[in-house]
Amino acid sequence: MSDILKLDKKRLDKFVAALLSEYRLFGPVEANGLTRFAEVESADALKLDSNTDESAKGIFFPQVETILTYENGKTETPSGPDKPIAVLGIRPCDARSLLMLDKVFGTGKYNDSCWTRRYENALIISVGCNTPRAGCFCNWLDLGPFSKQGSDIALTDIGDALLVESCSEKGRGFLESSDEIPFRKPTDDDLSKAAGVREHAESSMEDKVDISSIKAVLDKSWDSSLWDELAGKCLSCAVCAYLCPTCHCFDIQDEKMPGTSRGRRIRIWDTCMAPQFTKEASGHNPRPTGKKRIRQRVMHKFNYFVDVFGEIACVGCGRCVRSCPVNLDIRYVIKRFMDAG
Amino acid sequence: MPDNCYIPIPVTVDKIREESDDKTLRTFDLSFCDEKQAFDYLPGQFCQLSVLGKGEAPFGIASSPTEKGFLRFTVNRVGVVTTALHYLKQGETIGLRGPLGNHYPVEKFKGQNVVIISGGFAFTTLRSLAVYMFAHRKDFADITVIYGARRPGLLLYRDELAEWEKRDDLNLHLTIDKEVSGWDKRVGFVPTVTKEVAPSPKDTWAVVCGPPVMIKYTLPVLFDLGFPPERIYTSLERRMKCGIGKCGRCNIGSKYVCADGPVFSYAELQELPEQY
Repeated sequence: MSDILKLDKKRLDKFVAALLSEYRLFGPVEANGLTRFAEVESADALKLDSNTDESAKGIFFPQVETILTYENGKTETPSGPDKPIAVLGIRPCDARSLLMLDKVFGTGKYNDSCWTRRYENALIISVGCNTPRAGCFCNWLDLGPFSKQGSDIALTDIGDALLVESCSEKGRGFLESSDEIPFRKPTDDDLSKAAGVREHAESSMEDKVDISSIKAVLDKSWDSSLWDELAGKCLSCAVCAYLCPTCHCFDIQDEKMPGTSRGRRIRIWDTCMAPQFTKEASGHNPRPTGKKRIRQRVMHKFNYFVDVFGEIACVGCGRCVRSCPVNLDIRYVIKRFMDAG
Repeated sequence: MPDNCYIPIPVTVDKIREESDDKTLRTFDLSFCDEKQAFDYLPGQFCQLSVLGKGEAPFGIASSPTEKGFLRFTVNRVGVVTTALHYLKQGETIGLRGPLGNHYPVEKFKGQNVVIISGGFAFTTLRSLAVYMFAHRKDFADITVIYGARRPGLLLYRDELAEWEKRDDLNLHLTIDKEVSGWDKRVGFVPTVTKEVAPSPKDTWAVVCGPPVMIKYTLPVLFDLGFPPERIYTSLERRMKCGIGKCGRCNIGSKYVCADGPVFSYAELQELPEQY
């Protein structure tokens, strides 16, 4: 308990200033009625009251990233970031998703340096979810609104103040070296307020469903007629993949400036929901139908990822649930398979 | 590979050869612009070749690591990148990332018989394998190559095949689909020829690459002959982008063709959902 500090919300600017002296700072901001992560330079820009509409993955895995530029046949590669990245105000679900993406990009025979040069030195400061949004189901995925996996520092909003807790060596190191932040010692009343907030958040979520057997169930569901039913509803719009904090599929494309010898090679988010995703130059397509594509998406998250990395590639952030235009609710999909299996 | 595994290294086009009589196939011999970037590889591995402004595409390495000084690729002109590659001139520079993927299990083949069965332009990495085994000839027992095409002009590496015919340490069976004048070798489909000339499955490993229809009818022949799925290997093709198991495109079940393959045994493929 001694590790927990207290910071008055009106002194958040000091915390932000300390972060900015060492890091490029990203946090949730509001623009055009939507919340998303962007680089911030003051505490005023931060929007910390609710989870963001967009996930945090784009901070470390930008939607569009230049791999190289070229002119007259000469190529140049962009230099990496000059300062490490800090994220303030990420939710526990998104913090956990970064650990999953790090397994994809940062492990195996090939290390994806586009990812690791941003993520490996990053400072992740999460804020617990006092009011989980409709559709949130992190409790199905061994997470909760105040989980700390993937966080270096965890914040709890107790009204006028934030409780600040380090969850890693990196987090502790930052807090200990930042003398200029006016931390105080929390009172017993503060701590009981935090416990109350946590309890209220947890109890406000819908009941947990045990999906620990989903991988085994899906092993036997390749030929299920449910895939046809889901494909009949799905529009292949891919908003689920766009918003998903663990969807990491991408394309590599060359772009040339018309009429010049200049251009660039980019890596850009892509989705298995798109018919062209697997279509070969010959015209052959291993996943030519909506049924095969939605099966791929569900299988990748709840079966293949478990096979390879030992965990489900979903953090229950609920973004796909809230944004699907035809209400194709992944919770319902999983439940249907569990019931059938 | 460079620190950033998406950065291609520059290679020079040293030689270009028209490979088929329909002009759809060209063979390129490439060399490293910077010899320090040269790498070792094994038969069955592939590379991403790229033309700036057009993009990247994966190709199996057709040269053998025992052949020094060049990397060989045979390219079928079918899309944007392959068309750009066909327009290349000698001396031009392109990008290359590799070597990628796994390889034929040459360690397992040691002291054993090997039968290579192929059709059409799928012969590329099998040429690599054959040349590799010739260079380490004492490590392997009998080597058989069964290779067919629709007509003589669609067989790859014809000059080299003529040289191979003179070898007394290779059973080479070339075949074409339909009789044409001037062809004095076999006529018949690859599965039929396989049935006639395949070696005994005892201590023998089969490597099969070809068009899906050839594979479809050759596998039952091998199973009938007594080859177990563990000793039949193939190399798969998929649309690929990253080539290193990250971009999510070329999976079959939980395996990525680029990173876990492209070489798989039929025993391995039987474990995967049927999507190849």
